[in-house]
Amino acid sequence: MNPSGNIGVIEPNGEEHTLIHGPSVYSDNPQERIQARRLRIAARQEARRREALGEYLDGKKESEEDQSKSYKQKEESRLKLTKLLLCGTELVTNIQVATDIREIHRRVEEEEVKRQRLEKLENEVKTSQDKFDEITAKWEEGKQKRIPQELWEMLNTQQVHCAGLIEDKNKLISELQQELKIKDDQYVKDLKKQSDDISLLLERMEEQVKCMMKSFRQELMHIEKAFESERQELLSNNKKKWERALQAHNAKELEYLINRMKKVEDYEKQLNKQRAWDCEEYNMIKIKLERDVQILEQQLQQMKATYQLNQEKLEYNFQVLKKRDEESTVIKSQQKRKLNRLHDILNNLRTKYAKQIKQFQEENQNLTSDYKRLVGQFKELQKAMRHFAIIDAEKFREIWLMNEEEAKALAQRAFDVDRVIHAQHLGLPWEIPDFWFLKNVGPISIQQQKSATQILEELLLQTEEEGIDKSSEDDSYMDLPKQVSAKTTKKILMLLCDESGFLIESKLLSLLLPLEKSECYLLRLDAIFSALGIESEDDLYKLVNFFLQYRSHRLSSAQYSTSTHTTRTSLMSTMERLSLMSQVDRKSLTSKSEVESMDQETLQGGNESLVDKELREEGLSSPRLIHPNDVLKILEAFVMGLKKPKDIRPVLRIKKDTRDNSKDTEYWTSLAMVIPLSKQSLWDALYKALEKYYLVLTQRAKLLMENDSLEQQNAEMQSLLQQYLQAKVNSELQIPPTQSFRMPTK
Amino acid sequence: MLETPATSSAAGSHTSMYNIQHQPSAGGGASSLPPTLKSNPSPAPAHLKPKTTNVRRMRRIISEDAEWSLAIVPLLTELCIQHIVKNFQNNPILKQLLPEHQQKVLSHLPPDLPLKVTANLIDDENYWHRCCVKRWPVCHVAKHGGSWKRMFFERHLENLLKLYIPGTTDPNVILDLLPLCRNYVRRIQVDQFLPPVRLPTPPQTEDQSDSGSEGEGNEPEKDHYQLDALVAGLKCLEELDLVYGVKDCGMNFEWNLFLFTFRDCYSLAATIKACHTLKIFRLTRSKVDDDKARILIRHLLDHPALEELDLSHNLIGDRGARAAAKLLSHSRLRVLNLANNHIRAPGAQSLAHALAHNTNLVSLNLRLNCIEDEGGQAIAHALETNKCLTTLHLGGNELSEPTATLLSQVLPVNTTLISLNLSCNHIGLDGGKQLLEGMSDNKTILEFDLRLSDVSQESEYLIGQVLHANREAARQRTLNPGHYMSPITNNSPEHSVG
Repeated sequence: MNPSGNIGVIEPNGEEHTLIHGPSVYSDNPQERIQARRLRIAARQEARRREALGEYLDGKKESEEDQSKSYKQKEESRLKLTKLLLCGTELVTNIQVATDIREIHRRVEEEEVKRQRLEKLENEVKTSQDKFDEITAKWEEGKQKRIPQELWEMLNTQQVHCAGLIEDKNKLISELQQELKIKDDQYVKDLKKQSDDISLLLERMEEQVKCMMKSFRQELMHIEKAFESERQELLSNNKKKWERALQAHNAKELEYLINRMKKVEDYEKQLNKQRAWDCEEYNMIKIKLERDVQILEQQLQQMKATYQLNQEKLEYNFQVLKKRDEESTVIKSQQKRKLNRLHDILNNLRTKYAKQIKQFQEENQNLTSDYKRLVGQFKELQKAMRHFAIIDAEKFREIWLMNEEEAKALAQRAFDVDRVIHAQHLGLPWEIPDFWFLKNVGPISIQQQKSATQILEELLLQTEEEGIDKSSEDDSYMDLPKQVSAKTTKKILMLLCDESGFLIESKLLSLLLPLEKSECYLLRLDAIFSALGIESEDDLYKLVNFFLQYRSHRLSSAQYSTSTHTTRTSLMSTMERLSLMSQVDRKSLTSKSEVESMDQETLQGGNESLVDKELREEGLSSPRLIHPNDVLKILEAFVMGLKKPKDIRPVLRIKKDTRDNSKDTEYWTSLAMVIPLSKQSLWDALYKALEKYYLVLTQRAKLLMENDSLEQQNAEMQSLLQQYLQAKVNSELQIPPTQSFRMPTK
Repeated sequence: MLETPATSSAAGSHTSMYNIQHQPSAGGGASSLPPTLKSNPSPAPAHLKPKTTNVRRMRRIISEDAEWSLAIVPLLTELCIQHIVKNFQNNPILKQLLPEHQQKVLSHLPPDLPLKVTANLIDDENYWHRCCVKRWPVCHVAKHGGSWKRMFFERHLENLLKLYIPGTTDPNVILDLLPLCRNYVRRIQVDQFLPPVRLPTPPQTEDQSDSGSEGEGNEPEKDHYQLDALVAGLKCLEELDLVYGVKDCGMNFEWNLFLFTFRDCYSLAATIKACHTLKIFRLTRSKVDDDKARILIRHLLDHPALEELDLSHNLIGDRGARAAAKLLSHSRLRVLNLANNHIRAPGAQSLAHALAHNTNLVSLNLRLNCIEDEGGQAIAHALETNKCLTTLHLGGNELSEPTATLLSQVLPVNTTLISLNLSCNHIGLDGGKQLLEGMSDNKTILEFDLRLSDVSQESEYLIGQVLHANREAARQRTLNPGHYMSPITNNSPEHSVG
């Protein structure tokens, strides 16, 4: 209620906060606080460590045993201190509590007193109110009173009443004031009490602080001692352990050292070995590498030289190219100019060309129309030509007949002359030569040539029939070359057939098997000839001839060593002839003059060639006609030779369509040569001999006359000589001329 | 007056130790209010340097003079620094200097420079330490968050407020200081507000008028200083500790000096409502009756930051208690102190009803009220369901056996309560036995005060044994955080009653 009371209650309130739960951290003494804090930190660390070890529950007992001393001491101190603290704080706060209970008691009492006072006051109020009411009621009465005396009386009574009321009130006031005074005294007493309490509180607090400080110090000392002793123990234990471990460690170390030394020695040996080996290898490699280096240096030098050379060359080339480039630029410009010019020309030419195209088209049209016209004309001309051809043929025939008549008449005259010459001059008998063409009348129509196969057939048939009639041999073989007999031919052909089976197709061979021997040969030869390109009779003969000549050549070279010269010449001649034949071909083959010249040559060749032929005939009959191995070679040579003539053939074929007038010249020349050349030469020789005879005769006449004159002169001369010899001069001469020469035998 | 040896909250910094040594010589000027529950967020970092005197005292070693120099002619830098120091008032140059030079200048600055120059310029704790020491013989820096500068401004402001007389003092005296101290003041702790002066003489010199005071009691203009402008200007104000009364009035006592008027109440309520950073609000010894308490509490409903409300030593009755009960369910209040008021059974019942489902309140103090058995039983019922309250003070509440019976039933059930105070009640012998039974099944209560409660010594001793066992268990729990440990247990010792 009153401020002092408030203050009194406040003080312990502030005290509350000094109360400490923890051991001594909140103590007033700093030393104590520090120690307490240290303790707390240690405890916390301990707890943390224990917790970290994860053995809080199990480990507690162990730890109690382990660190029994320190831990026990700590616990003891802690408990002691907390107890002390609690007691101290209780002691201090007892004052507050006591104040509180006093206050409560005071309040209760106060309330009681207050209630009584209030009651009293209320009673007082009631009574005074009553009295007051009485008085106020009397005032009303007084107003009604008119009599002053009564009024005065009444006023007096009123005054007495009021005085009584006021007295009551004053009494009450004095009572209350009395009470207030008592309260004031009480307040002063309370204040005193409070200050006493406070001083007591302070005292107790100070005492508490001191006590706590002391006890904390003591406990700290105890704890420190405990820790110290424990530490000593631990130290000694650990020292022992350490020493033991150190010994073990030393022993192990020694062992390791020995092992290591051994190992080191081993390694050293290995190292030395390795080093020596490496050294050798190193030297070898070094030498090799040095050599390589030298070689490489040489190469380098070479390369440098070549490089320099190349550089110079390239520089030179570069210069040249530069110049060329310049030139080319110049040329390029020129070319450009030219190109422009040419373009102009091209344009001009194009225009010209277009013009010309037009022109030519026109011309073409004209020409086509011309061509059509000409075709028409040509057809007419052909018609006319056919007509003229018939007429020409008739005319030709007439002319031919006329000329023939004339020629025949001339021939008759020549025969007459010949007869005269023979009969009169030579004294030989003369016969009329029988020529085929003399019997011919009209233009010659040529019969077809025989093919090679036909001839073959004939040949084979003849040889089969040979044995039967020999006489017919000469006649049937008139068209064969003179030297080659049918027999040899057949032999050659058989040989050919045997050797050149490869030319026949395999199918044909299989077909031929069941056939007769002759037929088989025939078909085979046919196939071979077709393969070789032999078609006509002449080809066949040529082949046969070729074979023969080859053989003869072989024989001559092999057998006749003595007469090599002659055989060679003959061979040469035959060869020439053959080549001539092949070159001249069919046209010239039949020419009479050629044949004759050939004859002449053979004649000129002399007797030796004749001997050869005879020998050849002999050889032909011999079984070893031609060695089968040579057949192929001969064939090859033949085919090579045959190639050329074949090319010309197609041209000739065309002419066969028209009338063959090749025989015409022959006919006419033969007609002209009705007197053969031999005869003509005979005639010529005769003429010459006659002329010579005439000359001799004339000379004889002349010589006779000369002889006469010379005899005369001779006689004269002899006389003269005689004269001179007898002259004196001769004697005078040292050496007489007569001595130097013999006198002509005269 | 009384001195306060209660410096327990200053646990541990070097500085505080030094100050405590001075404590016995300090006068009663120091604050008599209990230290704050608030934990200091950061200990002062730069407190090692200014302790040269301290070191000398502790170690008896006098260090050599670090500034001694052989040079006869002082260096130019020295001269410049001296000049700067001399003219600092007119031309304050500090931030432009090198750090070493700054240090020198600060160590040479006189502590009586005008605040306008220094307030926002100098942050050096050393300088403010000198200022504080020069001005006040006792300096308790740990109470001010370890910051000398904060301490200086808080105490400076406190002094101004204490001596402010409405009507005569220029309000600009305080408002001028506002821009200088707004960043540093976190707490306003004023234990006296002077009333306006009616007479030309100040109240101190006023003649005592015992009888005359009654007649003049109804004078309307008794309003005190209005805090609203000041509080609105302070950015980081967290604590407001006010006592509407006059100290040292001596024989000039007058009831008028202790008037907390409705206008004061309204303005204060608006002020604290507007201050969203406020965490702790204390209004003690100020004759706050039911109506004023209701006004204040109505404004505090749904306050975003308020954690502690202390309305002890007032005249709050059941209606005020009902309002406080409403506040419990409409705020995040952690500590409620209604000690020494006029709360009776209905108020206690309403409080118990709020407590039954509250999840914020940690501490409740109903000391020296008169809740009697009805209220005590209601609170005991509430403890059955409450899962938050750790400290309960029901000392001096006319409680008797029925409450003890009920409590003995509740105690085994509740597992959060740590401290319980039933001192100065009429519990009686049987009640004590029943409480002993209840306590034998409880494992959480560490403090249980039954002094002067007519309990037999035997049961009191046995209860003490149980408490001892509980304390040991709790200690093991704190040493092994793996087990459950209430975070409040660390802070709770300060609330405990031995």
